[in-house]
Amino acid sequence: MSAEDLPKKEANVLKGHEGAVLVARFNGDGNYCLTGGKDRTIRLWNPHRGIHIKTYKSHGREVRDVHVTTDNSKICSCGGDRQVFYWDVSTGRVIRKFRGHDSEVNAVKFNEYASVVVSAGYDRSLRAWDCRSHSTEPIQIIDTFLDSVMSVCLTKTEIIAGSVDGSVRTFDIRMGRELSDDLGQPVNCISLSNDGNCVLASCLDSTLRLLDRTTGELLQEYKGHTCKSFKMDCCLTYTDAHIVGGSEDGHLFFWDLVDASVVSSFRAHSSVVRLSFLSYNSVCNTREGSAALGDAKKGPNLILRVTSVSYHPKESCMITASVDGSVRVWKA
Amino acid sequence: MEGDEEDFVFFGTPIEREEDMTSRKKKSIAEASGQLRTLAPWKQEVRDEEGRRRFHGAFSGGFSAGYFNTVGSKEGWTPQTFTSSRKKRAEIKQQDLSNFLDDDEKAEMEGNSLGTSMQFDTFGFTAAEIAKKQAEKEQNERPSAIPGPAPDEIIVPATDPIGVRLMLKMGWRRGHSIKSSRTNSLYDARREARKAFLALSEDASAPVVGSEHAEVEDMETAAYTDNVNQFHKSTPVYVLNPKQDMYGLGYDPFKGAPEFRVCVVTSENKRSHDSHLPGNRESGHKKLLPKKDGLFSFKSRNVAPGFGIGALEELDAEDEDVYASGYDFEAFVEEIEEPSRLTIEDKKKSSVKQDGILPGFKVATNSDYQLQRFDPPVVPKDFVPHHKFPATLEVNHKMAEVPPKEVPLPVDNNLKVLIEGVATLVARCGPLFEELSREKNQSNALFDFLNGGNGHDYYTRKLWEARQKHNDKTKPLLNEKVAPPAQKMTAESRGNILGEKPLKKSAKDVKPAVPTTNTVNIQFHLSDTFIEPASFVEPTEITKPFQHDPAKQERFEQYLKEKYHGGLRTKDAGGSSKMSEAARARERLEFEAAAEAVTQGKWGKESKPSNQQILGASAGRLQFTSGGSEKPEVSRAEEMMKSMFPKREEFQWRPASILCKRFDLIDPYMGKPPPPPRSRSKLDSLIFMPDYVKAATEEERAISNSISSPASQLGEKEGTTTLGIEDKVEVENVERPVDLYKAIFSDDSDDEEGDSNVNQPEDPTKKIEAANTTLSRLMAGDFLESLGKELGLEVPPDQPYVENHPEPHASQKTVPEIHQEVHTQKREAIDSDAHKDISRIKEGGSKNETVVFNHEITEKDKKVKRVENSSGDERSQKRSKRYRHRSSSPDGNRDRHSSRHKGRKKEHRKHSKDRKHRSHGLSSRSRRSADKEYGDGKREKRKWRD
Repeated sequence: MSAEDLPKKEANVLKGHEGAVLVARFNGDGNYCLTGGKDRTIRLWNPHRGIHIKTYKSHGREVRDVHVTTDNSKICSCGGDRQVFYWDVSTGRVIRKFRGHDSEVNAVKFNEYASVVVSAGYDRSLRAWDCRSHSTEPIQIIDTFLDSVMSVCLTKTEIIAGSVDGSVRTFDIRMGRELSDDLGQPVNCISLSNDGNCVLASCLDSTLRLLDRTTGELLQEYKGHTCKSFKMDCCLTYTDAHIVGGSEDGHLFFWDLVDASVVSSFRAHSSVVRLSFLSYNSVCNTREGSAALGDAKKGPNLILRVTSVSYHPKESCMITASVDGSVRVWKA
Repeated sequence: MEGDEEDFVFFGTPIEREEDMTSRKKKSIAEASGQLRTLAPWKQEVRDEEGRRRFHGAFSGGFSAGYFNTVGSKEGWTPQTFTSSRKKRAEIKQQDLSNFLDDDEKAEMEGNSLGTSMQFDTFGFTAAEIAKKQAEKEQNERPSAIPGPAPDEIIVPATDPIGVRLMLKMGWRRGHSIKSSRTNSLYDARREARKAFLALSEDASAPVVGSEHAEVEDMETAAYTDNVNQFHKSTPVYVLNPKQDMYGLGYDPFKGAPEFRVCVVTSENKRSHDSHLPGNRESGHKKLLPKKDGLFSFKSRNVAPGFGIGALEELDAEDEDVYASGYDFEAFVEEIEEPSRLTIEDKKKSSVKQDGILPGFKVATNSDYQLQRFDPPVVPKDFVPHHKFPATLEVNHKMAEVPPKEVPLPVDNNLKVLIEGVATLVARCGPLFEELSREKNQSNALFDFLNGGNGHDYYTRKLWEARQKHNDKTKPLLNEKVAPPAQKMTAESRGNILGEKPLKKSAKDVKPAVPTTNTVNIQFHLSDTFIEPASFVEPTEITKPFQHDPAKQERFEQYLKEKYHGGLRTKDAGGSSKMSEAARARERLEFEAAAEAVTQGKWGKESKPSNQQILGASAGRLQFTSGGSEKPEVSRAEEMMKSMFPKREEFQWRPASILCKRFDLIDPYMGKPPPPPRSRSKLDSLIFMPDYVKAATEEERAISNSISSPASQLGEKEGTTTLGIEDKVEVENVERPVDLYKAIFSDDSDDEEGDSNVNQPEDPTKKIEAANTTLSRLMAGDFLESLGKELGLEVPPDQPYVENHPEPHASQKTVPEIHQEVHTQKREAIDSDAHKDISRIKEGGSKNETVVFNHEITEKDKKVKRVENSSGDERSQKRSKRYRHRSSSPDGNRDRHSSRHKGRKKEHRKHSKDRKHRSHGLSSRSRRSADKEYGDGKREKRKWRD
């Protein structure tokens, strides 16, 4: 995929969220997307046609992450209310609420079989919840992290999580071992490459780092954007040729995977937002002083930051969410 | 710290030293031994095992609360009962004050307490008491505006105590001390004498008289005040001084500095007595002084012991007697206050001495005592009060030397700078430094000039120059003999002497005038704090950033001077007094920036390269720390960061079995004990870890191999075999701790028998299953053991070939031994064919083994077999030794089976529901195969025996 094929044209704007949109995720086949935001709702959209399909309301606080099963039948979501919600897509009802995190939950993911939900919390723990049984107790708590866990990814056999303590930890269930890759910088968001060999970590020193998963080697660093205090997503394009990341000034950056050059950057979200959004998303206040996150009064440019980026799994299509309350669909 | 302590190994029990045992402990021991049991119960004290008494609190019983430290009484604790019958009506009790008062209180109230009658009331206590009661009574009768009883101080007894009356009879007057009459008489006598003296000298000199008169008057008042003083001492009069200062109650502003107390008191008195008679001033001073002192000392004494003893605080040996400690403290405080008191007392004494009125003594007209004075030693005429060190002397001599001839500059600029620097140092620190640096840099080509090599001429010239310069500076010092050296010492030089690191200085800085009179050593040590030698960059030209404004330039220079010389800033900085505060501040900022720029530029231009050269050249002691190498350091740190991160670490992590199940994976820790808590000390890990870890890692390897390696090609049976082994290894691990303890601590014959009885009516299928697990576990045990042998962990005496393998870990010696025991035990449970069986398995799986264990080479297969055999023999020997009665009967083995079974079952019960699921689901296959193998094994065994 050349740089021309990058999704730079705005195809649709999904409006409906009242307040900041914190997460936008494609579903497994890329036909739908889910967004969650400050207005405590999860919304289901058809991004290609720009239609709002359904709203899921039950969260008591903002929604920070949402994930849908591969068969599109269940949703899991998490947020500021310290619970993980397990939804039924069609009825829109909550099947189960998993309580146990001591603090806000930053990220949530289903495993391959949609039998386990793994959530990453501000309470420095990863928790695995069983969707099959009726128990609402976590089946596993991983608390080796030294600081808030910001992001989690699952493979068939591993749980990978990035934490503000600067580590990306891989928990290999099959081998029964934990690999900790210390990056020295607070990790904001991690994202797996589509081939599963690399993990992209967004660090708070305004750098994205690409790690080789087998060796833990640092393959490349991507710089140019601003990411100093807030949680912002990053991901790889579906071809693994480019890297997409949001910036705190509302820009969207595309880097070449191999030579780390900025292929393209443009302002993705620029509309004016109410000031009340400002105070939000001091997502990961520090616990042990490892990162100076959460300074909400940084200046007006932060208002426009891109909170979430999700890339279509099979096409050159991308959705971005921002604190301005809009979700934009970008196509090549 | 902790780690260090943990490394210590203690043998035996420490001898308890005699003095460590506190007296009360001894007492408690004695008590326990029954020595003190003869005491009456009410005399015995309640103590804990440490011999301490329990302190209940000052207001709740002290050391003994209630009846033997209980709330009860001898009869127990019974509440008052109310009984009323028709015949005997309970009278309605009118409660009054007396119901709530103690006996002594009642006695006091009713006034029938025992006391001295008025007739014998020597000190007036009874009178005071009576007066108090009277006052109380009166107060009850007429209510006053101020509630509560009248303060004791106000109430004065109506009658004098008998003592006072006696004294009065004897001629004593109120307000006088007992000796006052004497002193008065003395005073009178002296007065008479003076009068006589005056009369004699009256006609001689009239004007002198007036002064004399005044003097006399002064003396008189002094004497009088002394009297006043004395009777104050004898009968303290408590004057309630109004509090006039702003300090808090009990605050002593002169606590740390008692000498100021006098000053303040004096000034206070001056203020207060200025309006009074001038003669009274001194008296007031003297009068107040001791009292104040007493007041303060009293307070400070009282404040301290109140703190620090709380009821909740741990009782220690020191606070056994809570009350006494307070008094101890008093003495202690007094000691502290000694100096302040001394001065005051000295004063008093001197005042007493001055008058010479020790009662009963007269002042001698001519005293024998004479102050002997000795003349100071005569200073020789040619003495110069200035100490000279040989080094400086040498410098002085060198002064006279003919200056070496001018030498052309060396070509190498770096060498030039280096030579100049060394020359300056040598000039300052003396030849010793030269020698030292010569020694240090003998092999260094750059320092050849010290040994007469390249640039030696230039060096000698420079050295001479530097000495010249140096002497110029020190000479005035030597000449100024009158000025004390302390005055000469600037902050900078003192800093140098003390080895303080000077702040970064500009190149323009003038060479600090360090007196060479100080020891050479210190100077030498200073050489490593020596940052920028003045000679490196001569103050050739001063940069002028403000050339367009001469006044400003001047101010700038002034600023620079101030900045680098240190010291106090002059008030009108650089004569800019007409400027406004803001403008001055702005200019100051400007100057700072300019100064920064100037120094940076200069530094970068001139001294950086040379400095680095020197750094490289003088690898020895002589190091010129360069301030310019900050930046590369930073980048290096960054580099370091980069090379350090990302850093990969690997830990063991145990996924929950249910998680594995949900992820559709095999639990890598299936059936293993929960991971041990991370060992606290090295000792722990030494003993317990290796075994476990070793097993774990091996298993891991085995598992990983069995899963990821193409082991599946080896066929179904073999695959199950590995699985079986894996399972067994884990099971073996589970059991080990229990077995280990059993092997060490218990004779397991009896409990096993009991177990077997219990287990008789068990479900047969279950039994078989359990037997199978046991079997597999045992096989695994054998397997591991043979492995251990292979590795040489156990050396049976009759196995010559094992000697080829030296023991890898001497420290583990104990572990295999225990291990061995465990195994011997286990072996009890199976028939001999069981381990034949495993040998078969091993044989069959020998191909696998090469994959699984690195140590094992296929060539050793034979050996392995032999090990099996021999170890089997050995085992049987052991068994027969230890369990002779058991091994003789096959039934015993049967029993053992069932007991194992039971243990296994227990464990099963412990497992959670899901785990059962797992074991059924996942390992049932392997069980079945194990079953099959068992049968096979039997057949095999027969073959083997044949």
